[in-house]
Amino acid sequence: MSNHRTISKKGIIATALALILLLSGCAAGQNAGSKKAIKGGTLTYGRPASVTSFDLFKEITSNNAFAIDKVFEPLVSFDKNGKVINWLAKSYKVSSDGLTYTFVLRDGLKFSNGKPVTARDAAFSIKHHLSAGGPLAIEAKVDSVIANNKQTLVIKLKKPFTPFLAQLANFSNGIIPYNFDGKSEKQFFKKPIGTGPFAVEKWNPAGDLTFKKNTYYWQKGKPYIDKLVFKTISDDTQAVNQLKSGEVDAIESVPLENAKALSQGSDTKIQTDGSWVTEQVFFNTLDKNLSDVHVRRALALAINRDGLTKAVTFGYAKTAHSLLPTTITYNSDASVKALNYNVAAAKKELAKSTHPKGFTTTLLIASGNSAVKQEAQIIQAAGKAIGIHIKIQSVELATFRERFFAYNYSMMINSGQADFPDADSILAFQTDPKGFSKSYWTHYTNNTVTKLLYAGEQTADGPKRAKIYAQMQQILANEVPYIPLYYPDIVIGHRSSVKGLVVLPNGSVRFEDAYVK
Amino acid sequence: MKMHMLNKRRIFRKGILSNRAAGHTAATVSISILSALLKAMATVACIIVAVFFIIRIVPGDPVKMILGEHASPSEIIQMRHSLGLDLPLGQQFVRFLHHLFMYGDTGTSIIYNVSTRTLIAERTPVTLLLIVMAIAITIVVAVLLAMIAATHKDGLVDHLIRIFPTITLGMPVFWVGLLLILVFGVWLHWFPVGGTSGGLFGTLYSLTLPAITVAFSQIPSLVRSLRAQLLDVLGSDFVVTLKAAGIPNRVILFRHVLRNASIPTLMLLGVNVSYLIGGTLVIEQVFGLKGIGSLLFSAISSRDFPVIQGIALYCAVAVVLINLFIEILSGYLDPRLKGDD
Repeated sequence: MSNHRTISKKGIIATALALILLLSGCAAGQNAGSKKAIKGGTLTYGRPASVTSFDLFKEITSNNAFAIDKVFEPLVSFDKNGKVINWLAKSYKVSSDGLTYTFVLRDGLKFSNGKPVTARDAAFSIKHHLSAGGPLAIEAKVDSVIANNKQTLVIKLKKPFTPFLAQLANFSNGIIPYNFDGKSEKQFFKKPIGTGPFAVEKWNPAGDLTFKKNTYYWQKGKPYIDKLVFKTISDDTQAVNQLKSGEVDAIESVPLENAKALSQGSDTKIQTDGSWVTEQVFFNTLDKNLSDVHVRRALALAINRDGLTKAVTFGYAKTAHSLLPTTITYNSDASVKALNYNVAAAKKELAKSTHPKGFTTTLLIASGNSAVKQEAQIIQAAGKAIGIHIKIQSVELATFRERFFAYNYSMMINSGQADFPDADSILAFQTDPKGFSKSYWTHYTNNTVTKLLYAGEQTADGPKRAKIYAQMQQILANEVPYIPLYYPDIVIGHRSSVKGLVVLPNGSVRFEDAYVK
Repeated sequence: MKMHMLNKRRIFRKGILSNRAAGHTAATVSISILSALLKAMATVACIIVAVFFIIRIVPGDPVKMILGEHASPSEIIQMRHSLGLDLPLGQQFVRFLHHLFMYGDTGTSIIYNVSTRTLIAERTPVTLLLIVMAIAITIVVAVLLAMIAATHKDGLVDHLIRIFPTITLGMPVFWVGLLLILVFGVWLHWFPVGGTSGGLFGTLYSLTLPAITVAFSQIPSLVRSLRAQLLDVLGSDFVVTLKAAGIPNRVILFRHVLRNASIPTLMLLGVNVSYLIGGTLVIEQVFGLKGIGSLLFSAISSRDFPVIQGIALYCAVAVVLINLFIEILSGYLDPRLKGDD
């Protein structure tokens, strides 16, 4: 979601550890490891910001998203590899013309208040989301949403939209009781009722949140823990110390400089996996200097991305070559011909530009993140080597957003993140000049890219779609509206006694298999 | 400040503290209290206006912080409208004043959707306890160190105590906090690393390390001042007279010297309360305490206007009241100060 942490690449030890934990913690399958699991108890999870709302239709930031997804669940979800899987629906079918989606609900599904879940509830939820819009609005042109019988929901689209299924996996498409269970919308979200593994027991929007186990949960015998506490610890260092001393069982935000020590600690471990994030340098293509493609290419060639990734991410990231992270299907990280580090080529490229002798520009960053600051300094040095003088402007996050929303920047460091596991999520946000984000505020416009984007949205999954996205990523690598720097990992810290946490590529954690030994 | 100190010293030496106060008329005192009150109210009013406009002039939009980068402009416009943030500033200010005087509240938090008054009330006990504990530790330690230093003037202990402030003044308070967390929380497990838990005793126990940290930043200046006062009083005529009368040293020290020397020191502590409140706000963040300080931090970064205004107003009123109290108290204790006005 929008709370992007600078995370990074795993080392061999961390990978091995993660694998062992995943195996022992039954991450791969829902049934694996259940013999060993210990039932009962409380798991306390330290998080940097409190949960301020459960309104799944209106929220997007991770502080709320990762609490909402414990209470509300969608028809389909995604696994730790980002693959769309059945969730509340036991099966789904997409018609050959890509217009009709038929979902069949699981048998005996119940809300946390014991009332049965029917297709009417599902239809109400999707329809309400369509009318509410919100920051994660359904982008497909939906024609109708109909509950055919108690268990069957049919959604018809006006025109094919392949990312639709992946989009439905988003928490914002969770199923709520019909008509808010007879309450007002506001009342309902104060005491939310869903199908998720947990229900809200005690909640302070400016403090901590206690979940209790949903005894009607559809995954029999789960969750193992009785209570899940989200403890707000805004300071990262404080969170690490509380983890070390055992005051919390796990923490969401691990400063990368602490990750290795935690992974090697006698009482602490980390879990790490790839994320849906690509850390990038963005160019304002309306800027008088950076509108020149040769200038952007020169800068891309001047930056040693491997070196930068190693220097700032402590091994918890992969160097990026394509825009799409390796966790997203159709990424062309391995095949794309990227402009890799070559200072001589960078100088030649700059010589072809309208500023052969270089120029002075600015790089905007949000303060408070040491990794981003280091990245800025490395980029500054890279620019200097080819005659581009970069001044770093570090401003507070709120100001940072105001600045780039108004195109008031030349270059900036920011991260692009997929909201759902489909190539379209990042690509539409970063390449569509007609969308409100105007190609992520770069104003990058290329008709071929736009055509490919629309074609990709309407082409069914398969080699044809793969080809479209490979072509798009190659054009972006050539024209460089942004330089992908690295794909950060998700890093979650936990006590050695905690087993069965499942880290998802969006940064959320599944707790239904978790227990404390 | 220096002038006041000098006056006070002169008076203490003569030992005529209470007699002069009686000579003052009730009318003069009440007029001076009234003028102090008026000044205090004017200060608070200025703060209300300044905070309201400054926080809105600074770039940053709470709506964009809530909706993130993926919200469309129409979403943003809709939310700004529902929060009344699209109104002209003047109109927003009138609304704000109306709310403040009608309900005694600066509004509903944009981020938490809870009234600011409730948020502040929830967070006050922790902050207040922390301040009280910090003051208590500060006074006990400072008085002890200052007395030892003063009674062993120029001895080794005195030198050591005098070096102490020089060293500690150079340590950033959050760093001291982190050090204490590491040693007493993570390594020794004597105290919790952060947060508060379980009832009054649990809370007091959890607040020990943070209170020591805050006290650490206050003790040096107080020790220095108190030591100087003690030495001053120790060398004064009335102490010599008491000694000549055969009164034991311990009695002179505790009953006469300390009492006289502590008043200006308490005044200094009073003046320092605003710094103490500021220090507490930082320390809350380091120790993960859910007090006013951590609320202010998150409110500023997410541009939660009503909460920022509420806390600013609350702290301003607290500091102004404390200063007013000190002013009145000092007038009562030292009638000469009235003459200065």
